[in-house]
This record gives sequence, structure tokens and C-alpha cells, in this order.
Amino acid sequence: MNMIDVQNVSFAYSEEKLTLNDVSFSIKKGEWIAILGHNGSGKSTLAKTLVGLLEPQSGEIHINSTRLTEETAFDLRKKVGIVFQNPDNQFVGVTVRDDIAFGMENLCVPREEMLSRIDFYAKKVGVEEYLDKQPSNLSGGQKQRVAIAGILAMRSDILIFDEATSMLDPYTRNDLIHYIKTLNKEGFTVIMITHDVNEAILADKIMIMKHGEIVAFDQTETILKDKSVFLENHLELPVALEIANLVEDEEIRRILWEYVSET
Amino acid sequence: MGIRFRNVSHEYSSYTKKTYKAIQDINLSIEGTNEFIALVGHTGSGKSTLAKHMNALMFPTDGSVEIFGSEVTKKRNKKIKYNDLRRQVGLVFQFPEYQLFEETVEKDIMFGPLNFKVDSEKAKTLAREALSLVGLDDSYLNRNPFNLSGGEKKRVSIAGILAIDPKVLVLDEPTSGLDPYGRQVLMNLFSDIHKKTNKSIIIITHDMDLVYRYFKRVIVLKDGELTFDGTPDKLFQSDIIEQNHLDLPNTVKALKQLNEKLNLNLDVYQKTPEAAAKEVRRVMKHE
Amino acid sequence: MNSIIIGQYIPGNGFFYKLDPRTKIIAIFFLMISVFMLQTIVQLLIAIGIAVVILLIGRISLFKVVRGLKPIFILLVFTFIFQIALNTEGTVLSTATMHFNLYSIISAVLIFVLWRILLRFGKFKILLFLAFAFALYFNFRYITFQPDFYFFQLTIYEKGVEMSVFVVLRLLIIITLTTVLTLTTKPTDLTQGLERLMHPLKKIGFNSEDFALIISISLRYIPTIFDEAQKIMAAQASRGADFSEGKLKDKLKQIISLLVPMFIIAFMRSEELADAMESRNFVPGEKRTRINILRFSIIDIYTGLFTLACFAGTILVKVML
Repeated sequence: MNMIDVQNVSFAYSEEKLTLNDVSFSIKKGEWIAILGHNGSGKSTLAKTLVGLLEPQSGEIHINSTRLTEETAFDLRKKVGIVFQNPDNQFVGVTVRDDIAFGMENLCVPREEMLSRIDFYAKKVGVEEYLDKQPSNLSGGQKQRVAIAGILAMRSDILIFDEATSMLDPYTRNDLIHYIKTLNKEGFTVIMITHDVNEAILADKIMIMKHGEIVAFDQTETILKDKSVFLENHLELPVALEIANLVEDEEIRRILWEYVSET
Repeated sequence: MGIRFRNVSHEYSSYTKKTYKAIQDINLSIEGTNEFIALVGHTGSGKSTLAKHMNALMFPTDGSVEIFGSEVTKKRNKKIKYNDLRRQVGLVFQFPEYQLFEETVEKDIMFGPLNFKVDSEKAKTLAREALSLVGLDDSYLNRNPFNLSGGEKKRVSIAGILAIDPKVLVLDEPTSGLDPYGRQVLMNLFSDIHKKTNKSIIIITHDMDLVYRYFKRVIVLKDGELTFDGTPDKLFQSDIIEQNHLDLPNTVKALKQLNEKLNLNLDVYQKTPEAAAKEVRRVMKHE
Repeated sequence: MNSIIIGQYIPGNGFFYKLDPRTKIIAIFFLMISVFMLQTIVQLLIAIGIAVVILLIGRISLFKVVRGLKPIFILLVFTFIFQIALNTEGTVLSTATMHFNLYSIISAVLIFVLWRILLRFGKFKILLFLAFAFALYFNFRYITFQPDFYFFQLTIYEKGVEMSVFVVLRLLIIITLTTVLTLTTKPTDLTQGLERLMHPLKKIGFNSEDFALIISISLRYIPTIFDEAQKIMAAQASRGADFSEGKLKDKLKQIISLLVPMFIIAFMRSEELADAMESRNFVPGEKRTRINILRFSIIDIYTGLFTLACFAGTILVKVML
């Protein structure tokens, strides 16, 4: 069953230029999709249309077979959570507890239920020790985990990460990506927007966007074999795969591919 | 001349009365010309604090920093114009949004020189030169910096410091948030500036691939202490790298993997994918 | 920058910390009215006595309250001087000619310099200031070498002294009361308390919930913005903007170089924050449940009764005397 169905979606901020140009694709339940592209390729705009923050001028978006409109947006947003790039600009609460509660408060979840969900999800993402801490006492990685707990507590099952790792240092970033991997294995549908091929490589499928259009969308392994897509779009392959491409030996390629997709 | 750290510590104290040392007992010497240094370490290891001591934005709580002949210590010295030290050592921060404020790129780049009492005509020339050093042409001079792309903003902010014509240029994580391609383009730019001007350049980075490929010297900080100062080759070929919980460059990691899985005898210390591929082909031909 | 204390809140767990913020706000409101109804110095002194006892019971260090008075110390001094100088009722307590001549002015300058120097080492700054004020008084009164450039009669009336003491005491109590409130109440609790108290205003179109949310988001972003301002200052200082020195014209430019990035970043932030809030289903004005709730407990009832007693007591005193 398709979790998300996007049909012929176009969006423009101004009249001169289409930021999204006739975009169509679908995502199945439990899949992990990476959307790759440079700044201005339209990938963040796409993410905003998926959670109903922007309304496309034409085309339709269906989430779980319900069409996303102004009327259905409130209910569908319970299913789709989004984590943004800047950890500081999405932390609404004065403390970690308040922030995890924010989405639930909006859904009118009873207080007792909120308290138990906060305990559960804080533990799940590993911030249970910081519940009373203020954001200025947390690292960027911890703030992003709090953001994840906030949307998990709303019982979302589609998680969108809009460059959520790009402001973190490489070590914290690795931690977070591995955590996202765990969530995906538990059954969450994950859409990860990134400009780093090293991150995209962990996904089941990769979508490459350019000037508001999808230029490639396929299984990760298939896409990585097509060198020209990467060259044309100035996307740098992971170093190990670049070596494999240069050596042109099947055995070497297999080992390095295994190595890359594991780490 | 240059920058000398002598037993420098910086201790923070907060209202909770817990104090901690951001950097501790640092001894370090940086020449005023021809250096190309990477400053690495985990978040919170004191890299930014160390950088801010290089142009007297921060004062040591212990020890002294000599910046081109001026001794900066805990006590303010009325004879030293600390502002003028910043003309010798330019510091570029991570986000260009923190410094761009004028309505045109030209005016923004001129801000630095004008602050240092350069006359307006000369400042214009400096702005033009700095802009071309960062790889942007004169058509940018009259553009609004806020309408530029992220990468262009970054270049303009670097030009804003280059226009002051500092002897030493310090950049705090200039490549963070960029994709690998953008990172290389920017590193090539720094490398070019270094070659053209002979300025000493110090770059804070997390990216070991870049460290291995581009730099002559690496300084490693761990928990505020200086734990390594030497060439990248020496760093990556020793166990210092593990002691500091740092990553190996991706070329080295990939080749090590091949050695392990295929029982090969590759020389893993290759700086670029091309060199690594060449090494693989060389060894495979022998087998 | 680890954490910045917002307002004057100091974490603790004494009696006042356990009170519901609504109780504290209402109690302080009524106690202030009571203080304004008191009419003699003796009554005020009794009130101060009671206040001190309450502070001791609540285990609030008097030292911290006094420190809270510091910013308005100058205000107190001016109030005192004005009352003394302007009030001309009652019997004359003292009258003296103040002489302004070459010698008295020189020695006044010397006293001033001495005061500034002592200020650097001294800890008792308030005492030092009083000593300075008295020294000036005696200086102008007794250094009488002629010729005077200017002189005037300083006459102090009984009523003047009485009034100035009275007004200063009243100010002291009021400030102490508000200090207790801000010292023991988290800013977030304070806004929540205000929100609940202003809830009835919804009938006249004032949405106290949105108001409280705005305040609490502002409170949450104060440390972030402060941190950012420091980073921007460092970035501009690296371009030679010296915020401590320089001519006025340069300074203006430097302040602009700080303000423009701050506003632009704040603008971007507000857009992103609005997206983040909307994506988590926030709809302004809609009903929401709350994670933080306020509950009255037994101590709130005691406090209420006590306040009522104080209020009734002052009304009684006012009617009887």
C-alpha cells in the first residue's frame, strides 16, 4: 500500500519560476527514501508541501489514501512529523518536557496521557535525563532528538528529516543517522532530505532533484551505479565508491559497496 | 613574528560556581607567514576558544599569547591597541549571517578597512581585490548580500576579512553544512589564496579527508589540551588518531577494508581516491 | 555561555517556592494596597517588622533582597532629597547656609575623587555613598572662606524629614514584596499565573492564552538571542568594529553592524519557528491541553488567610485611628 502518493504537484513562490515542476512519486509504508539535491533544487519545498505547510498550485498529495487539503491537514499532520535543519529554531518549549509536550498539547491529549508518553519517548530517544533542562544547556544533537521525541509522541508514523543533520558535527550526525536507521527498522516510514550522498546511501531508495524536477528515483544500489547522474548534478560519491568506480573490478566493487552500506 | 601561546589556559566560570577550563596549558607557535594548519577536535574540545585567543577576542585567564609582538595576558595593557591586533589576525566565523549587514557587497567588504582608518578610495580597491581572491567577479560589488546564495554569502564574508589584509587568516568551520562538492571547491579556494598571498591560514574542521589532502600541519585538541602538533602523515599513521577518538580519512578506511577482506598488502596511506585506485591496481597486477 | 538567569529568579525550595504563582500575585496585590493605606512611620515600621519575619520564615536571605534593592537605590536617594528639600511644613529642625566658594568646591572635588577611589576597593558601596553625601554636606556648610560665588539657605523642616522617611520606607516595602515574587517564581510560572488570572478578560476579546504563549516563547529565546549577539559582536570586532572605543559616528555604524544581522536572523528564525509550530499542529486560538498546570494547596489557603488578615487589619487601623 502507498503511504504517500504525490501526483503532478507544482508549486511556485513567485510567478517567474516554478520551485516544484510537475512532481510525481509514491512511497510505500516502511520505506526509507533519501531526497538528494543542491540548494534551490526544491527538496525543502517538497517537504513543506508534504506536511501541508505549503499548498501546491496544482496536483494532489494523498497520505494514507486521504487527500491532503486545508481541511484534512490537521488530521494528516498527526501522521507526518517533520524535523527541520536548525535545532534552535524548532525548540518551542522552555524545557525539554515542555517541548516534547507541545504537539500533544495542540492535539488536546489529556495531561496524564501526555506525562506517560513523555516518559516513554524521552527514554526511547535517550533524553530522559534532560527533561527539566533548558535548550541552552543541550547540544545540537540532543535538541534534534528532543524534536524527534516530540513528533513520535504525536504518534506520527511518517518521519521527514529536512536536512536535520546538516548543522551537527560529523560524530553527532553519525549517531543521529543510526538512530534514524533504527526507527526505520521499527517500521517508521522515513523521508530524509539531504545534500550529502554519504547519508543518502543508507536509504532504500534515492531521489535526485534538480530545478524543481525529479531527475532520478530508484533503488539506492541501482542509482549509485549510474555515474553520470552524479557527475551531472555535482554530487560527490562516497570516497570508497569512487575508488571502486576507478578500479573497475567487480570483486572490489562488491566489498566496498558492502562496506559503505554498512557504515 | 607570528602568534605564540605560552602556557595559555582559559577558565570559564558561571553562576553555578562550577568552573571549567575550555583550554588548558596550551603551548603553540604559529608563524606569521606560509603556514597551512588544520585545527581539529571534537565539539567542546576548545577549538573555537583557542581561535578567539589568536586575535584577542578572548584573553587568557592564565599564561600569555604573543600576537605579532604584543603580549596579551589576563590584565589589559593600556599600551596595546587590541583592535589593531585584529588587523594582523583575521577571524572568519562559521555563519556569514553573523557579519553581513550592508546593502551592497562592496560596502560590506569595505566595513573592515574603514574601521581601520583606511581611506575610502583605498578601501574600494581592497574590496575589489578581496572579492576576486574569493573567486567572485566585479559584478557582485553592487549586489545585495542578502540576495546571494549560501555559498556566495560565505565567500563575501571571507572577502570582508581578507580586505583587512591580515597576515594570518583563521576560519572557524568554513566547510560545515556544505555538501562534499562544495567543501572541495572552498578548500581549493583557500589553498589558492594561500599560494597566491603566502598568508598563514588556520582552518578549524572536522573533515579528516580534507585534513589529509590539503594541510601541511595539524593541531589536535582534546578536552582543552593540545594533544598533537605535526604533519597529517604523522597523525594518521600513528595511534594518536585513536587516542583522540578521531576518524581516519575515508581513503585509508576503504583501503584497510580491502586489505582485510582480500588479504592484500595495500599501502593504505593514500590521500585521494585516484591515488588509492592506482595503488589497488598496482597491487592487483602483481598478484 | 551556559545559562543566563532570566529576571531575578534564583532556584530554591522554601515556602514561597511552593506557593501557587496566582496566590503570590494576588497576595502581593492586596499587601501593596494595605501598605498604601498605612499613614504613619510607626505603622510602616511594624509592617517592615512583619515583612522581615515573613522573609525569615520563607528562608529568603535578606542579603539577596537588599541586593535586589540596589538598582533603585538612586531612586530612593532622590526621593529622600526631594522630600526634604520641598517640604516646608512643621517646625524648623535646622537651618544652615551652604557656601560655594573656591575652597569648598576644590575640597568637594577632592571628596568626590576620594569616594571614587574608595569605591574600587570598598564592599560597602551604599554606606560609602552615604558617607560621601554627609561629607559634601559638611563641606559646603563649614568651609566658609569668602568670597562665595553662590550660597543658599538649606532649611530642614520636621515634616520634611518625616515625609521623606515615610516615603522611602513605603517604597522599600513595595520593592521588597515584588522582589520576593520575582526571586521565587520562575518566569514561566509567573506568565502562567498571569494568564489564568487574566482568563476572564476573554469576554472583552483579550486572549490570555496566546499572550502567555508569546511571553513564554520570548523567554525561551532570550538566552539564544543573547548568545547570538555575542557571536555577532565577535564577528564584527574581527573586522575592526571596536564597540568600546571610537567616535560617535563610528559607533553608530558599529551598532548598525550588530543590529542588522540580529534582526535578519530573528526574522528567519520567526519564519522557521512558525513552520515548526504549525507542523506540530499548533492553531492560534484553538483549545489545547496543558502539560504545566497550577494547583492550589493547603499553604495557598494559609497565605490567603494571612493576606486577608493583613488587609482587614490595615482597614481597621485606618478606620479606628
